[in-house]
Amino acid sequence: MSEPILTTKDLRKSYGDLEAVKGVSFSVLRGEIFSLLGPNGAGKTTTISMLSCLLSPSGGTAEIGGHDIISNSLDVRKIIGVVPQEIALYEELTARQNLHFWGSMYNMSGKALKARIDEVLTQVNLAERANDRVSTFSGGMKRRINIAVGLLHKPQLLFMDEPTVGIDPQSRRRILDMVKELRDQGMTVLYTTHYMEEAEELSDRVGIIDHGKLIALGTQAELTKVVGQQETLRLHLGEGHLAEDHLELFTAVQGVLSATALNGEMALSVTEAEEALPGVISKANAVALPIRSIDIEEPNLEAVFLHLTGRALRD
Amino acid sequence: MRKIATLVWKDTILRFSSASEILFFLILPIVFTFLLGGGFSTFATEEDTDSRIPLLVVNEDDSDLAQALLDVLSTSETVRVDIMSRDEAEAAFADETAPALLLIPAGFADALLTGETAVLDLRQLPDDNNATIAGRAVNTAVSYISRPLNAARASVTIAAERQPFADNAARHAYFTQSLALAQDLAAETPQRVTLTQPETATTQNGDYNPATQSSVGQLITWVFIPLLGTSGFLALERRRGTLRRLLTTPTQKATYLLGTITSQFLVGLVQMILLIGFGILVMHVNWGNSLGGLAILLVAFALTSVAFGTMLGTFVKTESQASNLSIMLGMSMALLGGCWWPMELFPPAVQNVVKVLPTTWAMQGLTDMVMRGQGVNAVLLETAVLLGFAAVFFAIGILRFRHD
Ligand SMILES: Nc1ncnc2c1ncn2[C@@H]1O[C@H](COP(=O)(O)OP(=O)(O)OP(=O)(O)O)[C@@H](O)[C@H]1O
Ligand SMILES: [Mg+2]
Repeated sequence: MSEPILTTKDLRKSYGDLEAVKGVSFSVLRGEIFSLLGPNGAGKTTTISMLSCLLSPSGGTAEIGGHDIISNSLDVRKIIGVVPQEIALYEELTARQNLHFWGSMYNMSGKALKARIDEVLTQVNLAERANDRVSTFSGGMKRRINIAVGLLHKPQLLFMDEPTVGIDPQSRRRILDMVKELRDQGMTVLYTTHYMEEAEELSDRVGIIDHGKLIALGTQAELTKVVGQQETLRLHLGEGHLAEDHLELFTAVQGVLSATALNGEMALSVTEAEEALPGVISKANAVALPIRSIDIEEPNLEAVFLHLTGRALRD
Repeated sequence: MRKIATLVWKDTILRFSSASEILFFLILPIVFTFLLGGGFSTFATEEDTDSRIPLLVVNEDDSDLAQALLDVLSTSETVRVDIMSRDEAEAAFADETAPALLLIPAGFADALLTGETAVLDLRQLPDDNNATIAGRAVNTAVSYISRPLNAARASVTIAAERQPFADNAARHAYFTQSLALAQDLAAETPQRVTLTQPETATTQNGDYNPATQSSVGQLITWVFIPLLGTSGFLALERRRGTLRRLLTTPTQKATYLLGTITSQFLVGLVQMILLIGFGILVMHVNWGNSLGGLAILLVAFALTSVAFGTMLGTFVKTESQASNLSIMLGMSMALLGGCWWPMELFPPAVQNVVKVLPTTWAMQGLTDMVMRGQGVNAVLLETAVLLGFAAVFFAIGILRFRHD
């Protein structure tokens, strides 16, 4: 296992009487995408704000790259990149001017900065709009420049606070792909979201946060185990075969708990997919039922959240 | 200090990205300097006469402003107002029973309120000295009522520029409020402007020049107000989250503040140089004998203004609050500081009270140098006081500075 780049211990923040973050402890490992998944108001932004040295914690400690966030905030700020939840750009400046400005704030200058600006503009796919004012950009384009600013100085750890909120599906797709690319290039990402699908797609590990508390932490497999929920085998049948006709046969297979049919698909709830799969396939062969494909669906994070809080992630 | 330079570069682009900024930066100051510089020139020639010249007046505009104009005219020592109907007046004028006839047409006040040219119809007998004097009296009265009006209108224009009014009623309400403010301030001054003469005659070089008074006063007003706008800048950066983002970069708060202050200060300096140039070239103002004195005083004043804006920026929540406050405070501090009327016109008590305002000191220093021809020594006190203001304002601003 790789070493942690960020470690928090019992991090807390109160706004007056309201305790927005109630003692959060976790680590982010170098090279991973770590998601903080939680509903609105869970305390994600507050946590990120403390870690990016904007808010001073009411209690607890955190270290980034070996530097304490309070006593050594300048060193921390040099190695982190921040993509804030709200787009924080100068609309009157062009994309390139914005990047130039923010680059200088990260102590970059001259040729190196120019070259890096071109690089990130290509990375976020906005090179051809570089000299247009940001005020003329669509929401998705602004979001991408907002991200580009955070990447400029090649931070070791990138905070991304709900970077896909309120944009169209294509831009969202592009951003998610970009996050994975960044991880593949070796960047560590702390990603917050209230979309279960994003956390599932991106994360190496997930922390689920609710009412200012981290209520679960681990890989997706670890988290869903906690729920103890069954996996689902989804069988896509060949043309002209009615799933309904075979339901009873399959419930008899060992390890299959129940079977349902829908639109030429059969969904089997199983305790453990690998164990049930051989039996299911041989049964299908026995009755000459052609199977075009099989999906194995693990229980999702939504189910985990429901299990832990009794509430849906989105309400 | 590359970061400071970048901050200044960014602020300058932001500042001049909207065309309206040019309005504040140059157009309004120049228009006002010109208007008021011309307005004052009628004062010096008014004379006392025992037998006042009859002036026929027809008032067809049923408005407070028209009434105000009549009130001012009726206190004149040169003309005796005879109000009558249009027919009567025209008959009397045809008979040459009076040398001049003033017709206030319907819609006069509305035109003034909306900023259009309001036309007053003044008919004078040709080649008649009395007609000329009556004409001057009318001019004086008009400029008297239009000065508060200008102030009010300017404040409406400015407010609309920053934050459009919901509707015309809101605009009118704001206008009325501003007018009342300006009129109250004007009321502090003696009614008849003829009183200025003995006072100004005692000044050292004696030749009181309205163009100079206006150039100096307007310079201070229009440098002050935009620099108070520093508060709006801070509010803008807070609202947009750019300030928060900035503080997550390895950039110190102090660097950011210094950059912002420097950029606003530099813009203020450039503006002053342009306005002084305008004063010299167009208004033929002589800016005194001491370039050094002028420089240190103006630099000190610009610093005070930016510092005040920075402090204000830590009290306001939104940009519109910031711009409303900047204009209200800027305008009233300029008015009370003697930038629009000679300080000599204020009652002595008021003259003392307004010493708490930086505008008063700036105006006093400039007046000493420009209108009384004094040298750099004469403005050392004012400069020191202004720097003191700046230090206090900066200290409060920096202590209170927050990013959210
Ligand atoms: N400046 C503030 N003053 C007072 N309360 C605040 C402040 N900022 C956040 N809060 C409160 O703290 C709690 C956590 O807010 P936070 O913004 O961290 O949540 P979040 O998980 O980022 O939510 P979202 O998904 O809506 O962005 C909320 O109850 C919020 O109302
Ligand atoms: Mg948030």
